[in-house]
Amino acid sequence: MGFSARDALSEFWASRISKLGVALIIVLFAISAYVLASYPLNFGTQYWNKPQYWADYPKGVPPTWTQSFSSVRRPEHMILTTDVSQKKTRGNMLIEFNINFDLRADMFPQFTSFSLYKLTFYDSPPIIHLTLTKPDGSKIEDLLVEAVPFPSSGQEPPYVKYAESPLRIYLPGSPAVRNSIADYLRTEYGSTLTPLEIRNMGIEQFMFGSPDESGAFTNVVEGTYNIRVQVEIFNEEDTVESVKFVVGGQAFGFMGTDTLGRDLSVGLLFGFPVALFIGFITSTLTTIVGSVLGIMSGYIGGRTDNLIQRISDILNNLPQLPILIFLVFILGQNIWNIIMVLVVFGWSGLTILIRSMVLQAKQEQFIEASIASGASARWIMARHIFPQVAPFVFTQMIFYTPAAILAEAALSFLGLGDPSLPTWGQILERGFQTGAIFLGYWWWIIPPGLLIVVTALCFVFIAQGLEPVVNPRLRRMR
Amino acid sequence: MMVLKIRDLYLYYQTLRGEVKAVEGVSLDIEAGEALGLVGESGCGKTSMSLGVTRLLPKNVSVYKGSIELEGKELMTLSNDKFRNEISWKKISMVFQGAMNSLNPVIKVGTQVAEPLRVHLDMDEKEAKAQVLEIFDNVGLPPETYDRYAHELSGGMKQRAVVAMALIMNPPFVILDEPTSALDVSIQAQTMNLLKRLKKERHIGMIFITHDIALSSDISDKMAVMYGGHIVEMGSAEQVILSPKHPYTQKLLASTPRLRSFSQPDFIPGAPPDLVNPPTGCNFHPRCHMAMDICRERDPPTCYPEEGQRVECWLYGDKDE
Amino acid sequence: MRLGRSLLIKALSLLMVVIITLLLMNVILGATGFSDRMLSALVNEQVRVYRQGLLGTISNPDEITRIVAEYELTLRTAYDLDKPWIMRLPQMIWRVMTFDLGEAKTSQTFTGSTLIKDLIAERLPKSVLLITTSVGISALLGIVVGTKIATKPGSRLDRFFSNYSAFSYAIPTWWTGLLFIMIFAVFLRVLPPGGMYSAPPPTEPAARLMDLLWHAILPISTLVLALSGSWIYLTRTMVLNTAQQDFVNVARAKGLPENMVMRRYIIRVAAPPILTNVILGLAGSLGGAILTETVFGWPGMGLLYWNAIVTVDEGLIIALTFIYTLIYVIARMILEVLYVILDPRVEY
Repeated sequence: MGFSARDALSEFWASRISKLGVALIIVLFAISAYVLASYPLNFGTQYWNKPQYWADYPKGVPPTWTQSFSSVRRPEHMILTTDVSQKKTRGNMLIEFNINFDLRADMFPQFTSFSLYKLTFYDSPPIIHLTLTKPDGSKIEDLLVEAVPFPSSGQEPPYVKYAESPLRIYLPGSPAVRNSIADYLRTEYGSTLTPLEIRNMGIEQFMFGSPDESGAFTNVVEGTYNIRVQVEIFNEEDTVESVKFVVGGQAFGFMGTDTLGRDLSVGLLFGFPVALFIGFITSTLTTIVGSVLGIMSGYIGGRTDNLIQRISDILNNLPQLPILIFLVFILGQNIWNIIMVLVVFGWSGLTILIRSMVLQAKQEQFIEASIASGASARWIMARHIFPQVAPFVFTQMIFYTPAAILAEAALSFLGLGDPSLPTWGQILERGFQTGAIFLGYWWWIIPPGLLIVVTALCFVFIAQGLEPVVNPRLRRMR
Repeated sequence: MMVLKIRDLYLYYQTLRGEVKAVEGVSLDIEAGEALGLVGESGCGKTSMSLGVTRLLPKNVSVYKGSIELEGKELMTLSNDKFRNEISWKKISMVFQGAMNSLNPVIKVGTQVAEPLRVHLDMDEKEAKAQVLEIFDNVGLPPETYDRYAHELSGGMKQRAVVAMALIMNPPFVILDEPTSALDVSIQAQTMNLLKRLKKERHIGMIFITHDIALSSDISDKMAVMYGGHIVEMGSAEQVILSPKHPYTQKLLASTPRLRSFSQPDFIPGAPPDLVNPPTGCNFHPRCHMAMDICRERDPPTCYPEEGQRVECWLYGDKDE
Repeated sequence: MRLGRSLLIKALSLLMVVIITLLLMNVILGATGFSDRMLSALVNEQVRVYRQGLLGTISNPDEITRIVAEYELTLRTAYDLDKPWIMRLPQMIWRVMTFDLGEAKTSQTFTGSTLIKDLIAERLPKSVLLITTSVGISALLGIVVGTKIATKPGSRLDRFFSNYSAFSYAIPTWWTGLLFIMIFAVFLRVLPPGGMYSAPPPTEPAARLMDLLWHAILPISTLVLALSGSWIYLTRTMVLNTAQQDFVNVARAKGLPENMVMRRYIIRVAAPPILTNVILGLAGSLGGAILTETVFGWPGMGLLYWNAIVTVDEGLIIALTFIYTLIYVIARMILEVLYVILDPRVEY
């Protein structure tokens, strides 16, 4: 006693570790606030877990900034959209879009895709033609030819298609494209490669490369490419809103992508508020339950004490992870179950400590005085006992937070996380399951773990800074 | 026969706040079979004295010098290993403050008491045990005590065990630092009787350290009063108790409450001196009721107001020295 | 026989823990309707197989439906599905306690058995190998390093290890495992990325042992990294506390050589509380082993557990949870016995 809040604060602030911890926690909160403000709450189910959303992202590529450290130039990811078209007549009526882009790299793009938005037609469905012109003049005519399917019976013109979701053609997956390339190779280079072989070798090298002396397409043709989209229409009122051509880069974003093409920086950011939420709620609940039961157990004694002690004894004698796994598995993988299970297993340690502190405090004279003056047990527990154990309880709460975050991460890693809520542990689980480690996708494995460590550490730092405040023996001598 | 002769012993520690002058030029003589009671307040340097004599120095010692002669042999020149092998426990043993915690809790009591015999004298287990049982009998402990553990003994029994342990090698000199302060009064009386008997039987020289003057007078033949690292007064027990010369000693005696007196016990105003920056001159002067100007300016000389009694005080000194 | 009696009490209370856990597990399974669903799924599967069999022999569809319905009824009665789950409790508990644990869905032993009992018998020794080696090394490190730095508190070595302990608390074990694999197996290619032996394993015993060691380096290192941090710090604290006690001074005053003081008066005295914390840390090492085995594909019980989760094999998960509890309780019992032997102050 006699150690005011002011002294406590200055004692806490004295060490560098505390300052670091507080600085980190402010950063964590700032990022979480930003995320909560700019992301929808159902981000997990609406975006993260929907592969279609990530279709045009490159898959499993490192972050763009790794370029600064590498001599191998990776092509950047290009999403090229245009709504500028010309109507042409060349025998047939055409709506023509032109897309130009520059490719300067030592590696081929990962994939290409074509999308068409909002088609309105009145008679026969249009036919889409795509032609690629390489910088060296080489042309792949009709690289892609796609006939829009007939409208289903019962519909009346004007037929509107691809208004909500575009027509998307993933070029590497299209047999027609492979056939065109086979033709192109045969005409231009006299190659005898079959479409199947072309598929196995990957079409990008033929689209963007030129052969070397041995005939292998290893050189990237650098320069300006042109994609000419010609939509063959059968009614001059037919319109196309816009087209998109995606050149899949070999690097993307701040944190790279996973094998589904998901932008890891986005997933990682969402993990901030989730981690803090889990950490705080779990530790707060655990601390409340633990200290209330501890105070009751120590102060009331008797049968209550016995019961509470028995229960915590049993809980302490159980192996934590296997039981956690069992409970989450049976009760269901959702965040509230996980939190509840963590709390149920967390409180017993605190209760035992608080109980012994309360037993000591109970002996104090002023407690006897309080009882003599008629105070109720609840009043004494709340007003006299609790303030004595409060600083310790508070420190324990800080200390539990990283434990909760780590426990959730471990459960997620085993595949028991809440699937609707992307957490760092889950990102690591995906990385592990898809073999990202063995592919050397370090940008997928290192950042989430690092974030877990940093977050846990900042609480450890704060707890270390709080120790001298709570434990007078460790205080600095002035 | 002189058992222990200490001359000008200095012991300083280095701490965060500065150098603590714990023992400042202490000189003492103790004869065989004689007990010297070392009294003083907490922090006056009595424990440091005992550590200095037994060479149980902490790691932050900065100054350790002087002369300590045991049975005529100079100890300060001995190497640490030699001291440990030849002097520790063989010639000088110690009973620490707090017998409660002096015994290793996980080793049997008998084994611990026998340890010095087995380590220093290479005795085998049977022979050592025989000696232990003998000394247990001497101090009044039943032979079953040998196989007990510390927590199984009562306070009084623990005390006896610790005393037995100190005497197992029959050293000519023992230092006892507050050996009874943790005991209740009746056990205290028993222990004091035991100590007095052993002192007579074995002709042991002792330093008996305590803050309790009355207790000290029970066993001490000579008494030395320590203040701020100095011995401010020394003489026979009668001299010091009945005709104290130093103002501090006088105040100490006056502050003992008397059972049948109606007067309030006296007290000494102020606090013990800061051993890092002791007061100038006589370091008692800020609290002394008889302080003079010269006390503030110059260190007091050693004076001999009576045969066998010495004081460090300007009241008895020649100001021109 | 005071010792024996107190140990017996402890053993009984631990047994109670196992029984209560089993009881609670089954209550949860029953109350959430999980066991109903599980057993129904089992029945449906058996009925399906039965029906398939019948199709070959009987041609009349009505006849088939009738026979199948009869069969289903007998199955349901046999499994007590017609009664509320509470009635099934005693039988379930009895079955588990006699280790009649049923079959796994997809996992198989090396010899082809799908009995869970056999699976566990096959996998358990491998987990034990991993855990005991790691715990042993960590404990040794803890004691050696912990005592060393306790002799010089505040030194650079001391501060380094104190920080190391704080750090290792915050780092997930399994993540370090992942990093190790990436660094040593994928990028540097000096150690294998997982498993216990190479495929095919060498036949010659010495080579086989070397192969095992080579595979064991990373998983053991990962576990040791996780465990040693707190144990080093713990030993340090306990030793420091003990070294300040009076009886240590007495030992020195007695002229005992310093290493004897260290052994008998410091380490020996600090051992019981250190052991307590080792006991408490056991929980962590079991869990850590599950995660480590998963990361490294070490064919122990932990990996089996993970397989069970991935293949949604409820029967296996329940059986494994029970076995883990049992193992944990047994290990604690062993350590409690050790504790009582070490510390004569312990009484019940």
